Amino acid sequence: MTASVLGFLAGEALRDLVRAGWIAISSVLLTTLSLLTIGGFWVFSTNLGDAVARWREQLRVIVYLKEEPAPAAVGALMDRIRSEGGVARIEFVSKAEALRRLKRELGAQAAVAGMLPNPLPASLEVTPRASASTPDATGALIQRLASMPEVSEVQGGTEWVERLAQFQRLLQLIGLGIGGVLVLAAVLTVTTATTLVLYARRDELDIMRLVGVPEAVIRLPLLLQGIGQGLLGAILALLGLIVGYRLARPGVEPLVSLTLGLPHMTFLSGTAIVTLLGSGALLGAVGGWLAKGRS
Amino acid sequence: MIALHRVSKVFRVGPVKVPALSDVSFKIGKGEFAVLCGPSGAGKTTLLRLLYRDELPTEGRIDVADYNLTSLPRSEVPALRRAMGIVFQDAKLLPGRTVYENIAFVLRVLGTPRPEITPRAFGALKAVGLSARAQAYPAQLSQGEAQRAALARAIVKEPMLLLADEPTGNLDEGIASEIFDLLKDIWSRGTTVLLATHQAALAERLNRRTLVFQGGRLVKDDG
Repeated sequence: MTASVLGFLAGEALRDLVRAGWIAISSVLLTTLSLLTIGGFWVFSTNLGDAVARWREQLRVIVYLKEEPAPAAVGALMDRIRSEGGVARIEFVSKAEALRRLKRELGAQAAVAGMLPNPLPASLEVTPRASASTPDATGALIQRLASMPEVSEVQGGTEWVERLAQFQRLLQLIGLGIGGVLVLAAVLTVTTATTLVLYARRDELDIMRLVGVPEAVIRLPLLLQGIGQGLLGAILALLGLIVGYRLARPGVEPLVSLTLGLPHMTFLSGTAIVTLLGSGALLGAVGGWLAKGRS
Repeated sequence: MIALHRVSKVFRVGPVKVPALSDVSFKIGKGEFAVLCGPSGAGKTTLLRLLYRDELPTEGRIDVADYNLTSLPRSEVPALRRAMGIVFQDAKLLPGRTVYENIAFVLRVLGTPRPEITPRAFGALKAVGLSARAQAYPAQLSQGEAQRAALARAIVKEPMLLLADEPTGNLDEGIASEIFDLLKDIWSRGTTVLLATHQAALAERLNRRTLVFQGGRLVKDDG
């Protein structure tokens, strides 16, 4: 197919889009709405995912020791814990260091802490490996550490992080569910718009078939028209997301920082933006291709 | 150019079988002008539809140029149709486009280089004597002019074969005669022409090979 035919067919597609009128506008708006919903959930889920990842990184298992080991024995004890597997980092906190930290946290009331004998136990702060920071793996690690003779108590767990991760997955599913229904509606509207165009252009298409234009070339403007509607809907959705994000960010970011511990909110990545635009074009292409006409 | 060997076509209307063509065989050579003559329902239109592969025969074999239409894959039908021009009783002009645009439309969708479109479209209009009406819309044309425009659209891609299905069916005798003269002009430039008409007297005046059909059967071939 030559460039001039392609140009001509693209022009025809644009003319069709204008010819389809309100039905084309409603299919563009439905595409916008569906991708805006998916995109909105995506932004929220991305930030929640960032928070989960951050919290997973900061996850610690605190191993309280019955007695403070002699400085020479600390290294051997840490090696034994490392050999349990699933451990990324270990830090020894002596009784004195624990008291220093307490005084730092107490601030003005630190004098009270200074008058008492040091009641704090020595401990080891164990950071599990990312791959081992699941509830099951961390639970097993805690059990193994608790069974060591030097250990009095082990604190830590990932249940709450996991619950947040599950909430994030649920949020993604809800977003995909609502977005999916809206996508289906958008595809059907694009199909209806294209079918109306097919009906309006049936004489032209008959002539094209009679003079020997291949079916793929005949359907190309319909496909382009669908892609045009989908892409336009996706661009509007993206603009809506950008405007909505900019407007909401100043108010929402402090709340997110307070509840999720994220210093900054993030918008969709470049890949996500391309995926969103591509989904719009694909959605329109499917709608355009599904349109039925005489062949 | 065209060869039919024992071709039959039966349409099914629900459980009822309606025979449209029965055991038709004939050959038309390259550069020939032949007339399919017969009353309405004789099978002329069905025969033409078989020739441009709008329908497949129920039995028999059809060859057009190098194409065996009986086994021609659907994907190759456009190539077959590019080699032929087709005109109908109803001119089938696109109402929203001028006469010139109707003709240029065919060239554009077939990928003709842009600089060639205008001269070729006007060449076709000149050949049918319609240059002065190039900017008119189909609604502004007489029936005779509309049929001339349809002929211009059919010949603009310089087909090897022109199929004309009752092109004068809606026209009075004088204008029909002019259209027949045009078809002869087109034939004289080397195009094979197959004309289907029920106007026996007019067809006789053409003085060309005539195949007479009746009830789906070829009853006379003076070729």
